[in-house]
Amino acid sequence: MKKLFMVLVLICTAAATAPAQSAYDIKVMTPAVKSALDGRKSRFAELKTLKTRGVVGETNRGYVQALGGGADVQALVAAENKDRKLVYEAIVEQNKLGAAALATVETVFARVQRDKAEPGEKVQEPSGNWN
Amino acid sequence: MKYLFLAAALMCCAGCTVKAVGDPNRPITINAHVTIDIKGLEKTASGIEEYVSSGK
Repeated sequence: MKKLFMVLVLICTAAATAPAQSAYDIKVMTPAVKSALDGRKSRFAELKTLKTRGVVGETNRGYVQALGGGADVQALVAAENKDRKLVYEAIVEQNKLGAAALATVETVFARVQRDKAEPGEKVQEPSGNWN
Repeated sequence: MKYLFLAAALMCCAGCTVKAVGDPNRPITINAHVTIDIKGLEKTASGIEEYVSSGK
């Protein structure tokens, strides 16, 4: 009986300490997610040009923001942010992270965007200041 | 028999907990049971941004 007990304790310990998940992913490429990713790809070059010129910046919440320009820039930014939000929400939903995790996903994407930003591009620091 | 009850209780507790890995210094707890693996999420985000920046 003691042996059985020890085995059960070991199983419990292993279950409690084992990594539940080491990475997250888009597990199901739904038409909506594919459309969002394709949309982001298609506007990437234009967005990059606007970023280089300082007309668009990356916020600390994982979205882009128009810092200048006209209605066309606003429209591009709105379309980009709509697609980004859809992808973020898909990650949350498909990995069962819970609705409250959306803010975390947004923050992590913002960090990645900051890391990828090239000199001269406008990025918002976690403090809210723009560089 | 009492050990079996104890073991069953332990197994129940273990089954209700999701553990995070990758960055023990920066775990973000969303609620009592779900902790996000920030390193894993960063990898995912990097992969998606690489895909987006790869062009048409």
